[in-house]
Amino acid sequence: MEDKGIFGKLLAIAPGLAVMVGTLYVLRMYVEPWMNEAVVFGTKGWLVKVMSLNYILLSILTGMFYRNVLFAGKIPGWAEEGFRTTRLFIKIGVIMLGSLYTFDKLFKVGGIAIALIVSFVFGTAIFILWLGKRLGADRSVTAVMAAACGVCGVSASVATAPGVRAKPVDLALSIATILGFGIASMFVSPYIGKLLSLSDYQFGAWVGTGILNSGQVLATCLAFNPNFAPGTAVAYGEIWNVVRVISIPFVVFFITAWYWKGEADSEQVSLGSILASKFPIFVIGFVGMTALSSLHVLGAEGSETLHLMRQVMAWIFGIGLVGLGAYIDVREIKAAGGTPLRIGVIAGFIKYVLALIIILTFIPKEGAF
Amino acid sequence: MSDKKKSLTVFKTDRHEDLAAIFASALVVVFVLTYMAFIVPSVSIKPPQDGKLMDIYVNEGSLVKTGDKLYSLEVVKKKWVNNVMEEKTAVQEFTSKANGKVLKVSGTPGTEVKKGKGTIIELAHQKGTLP
Repeated sequence: MEDKGIFGKLLAIAPGLAVMVGTLYVLRMYVEPWMNEAVVFGTKGWLVKVMSLNYILLSILTGMFYRNVLFAGKIPGWAEEGFRTTRLFIKIGVIMLGSLYTFDKLFKVGGIAIALIVSFVFGTAIFILWLGKRLGADRSVTAVMAAACGVCGVSASVATAPGVRAKPVDLALSIATILGFGIASMFVSPYIGKLLSLSDYQFGAWVGTGILNSGQVLATCLAFNPNFAPGTAVAYGEIWNVVRVISIPFVVFFITAWYWKGEADSEQVSLGSILASKFPIFVIGFVGMTALSSLHVLGAEGSETLHLMRQVMAWIFGIGLVGLGAYIDVREIKAAGGTPLRIGVIAGFIKYVLALIIILTFIPKEGAF
Repeated sequence: MSDKKKSLTVFKTDRHEDLAAIFASALVVVFVLTYMAFIVPSVSIKPPQDGKLMDIYVNEGSLVKTGDKLYSLEVVKKKWVNNVMEEKTAVQEFTSKANGKVLKVSGTPGTEVKKGKGTIIELAHQKGTLP
């Protein structure tokens, strides 16, 4: 792409971004209030209370509608640059979520989160490496699926692919499989959570362990409880999410080392070089925000200042989630198949159910904060 | 899969995107804090949850300090205790988060209030403080 300069780039972003912001505005200002008042099956607000159709899920669904129906499967050129700011908005939101905690709160649940995430991330990766061998899958495919199902659908797969010489098609199929699984989990989990009367703490811990994409974790938690505040599902889920994101370079190293151990022309990989190139540094922003919150720089709990901060956070997430929906291409998910699909579905399902069983068994309903 | 071939970010690399996210969130924080501390002259304090307005402890024109009681609400508190949801009615007092002056008292003790709906007190806070 030719260099457009900073103003050219901003201009290119504007149309797509305007669609995302405009969509969210309509959903939050008109659609959600209407749904709160609408009487369905004799219950006022049934769509929101029972179906969890708050602006979060509506944002994703509308984004999916744009991509798959309105844009016929491909984001048009005029909107493409704007929609590519999706991850930026989700990352800004994740950093700002750091304001929901103080360090003592993080330490209260951090140990449990680290124990669960490390067990599940490495347990899943090891299980897939074994399953891939058993199903006779190519080692590159197995390695990418281990990254996709173990730690993160997109980031870890993309980070692992070059190191394990995965073909683009294997990478695309792995991502499609795991994102498809994540999307299904995103819509189903809030109902399961309500059916089992999970508390915000349990739900956040379960979703943070079982779902593998930052946007999907946040969306699922907010579908369960749309409030941004300490002690809500999103506050707990995000701790799990951040621990998972931090573990990405370690998993990439582990899988890459496994791959090269079995290859004749082995290459040396070092944890240091992978950490230097793959560590998600936006997490530092999250920790910085928690530091500001711990120092009470952001306003007292219950203040109008924090209220405004959380409103802004909700808008930032909402914009990101419209974009997240627009990156869900149903045709790509349909294209998922063969061994990656089998590995992904088996591993994803076991992980999802096992995480729920462990949460129900060991995590109390009483939140840590 | 033309979109897959293209980067998912408008930035040169993911690292640039991470740095931009940190910078943008810092900007948002600075904007919100500056706006609340120096630009907004007063804030409308609304009920933070559903309940019954029990008492208002200040009058129009009163000067308040951080921590002074402003009003109390009778609310239903829900809490998980031994894996069982306990609900109990409690009166919760809400305090001022900044020094300032009460401009208007709009709430009426004894009335039911809804979260985020209807102003109870309008407070002009001291410049440079976070209401």
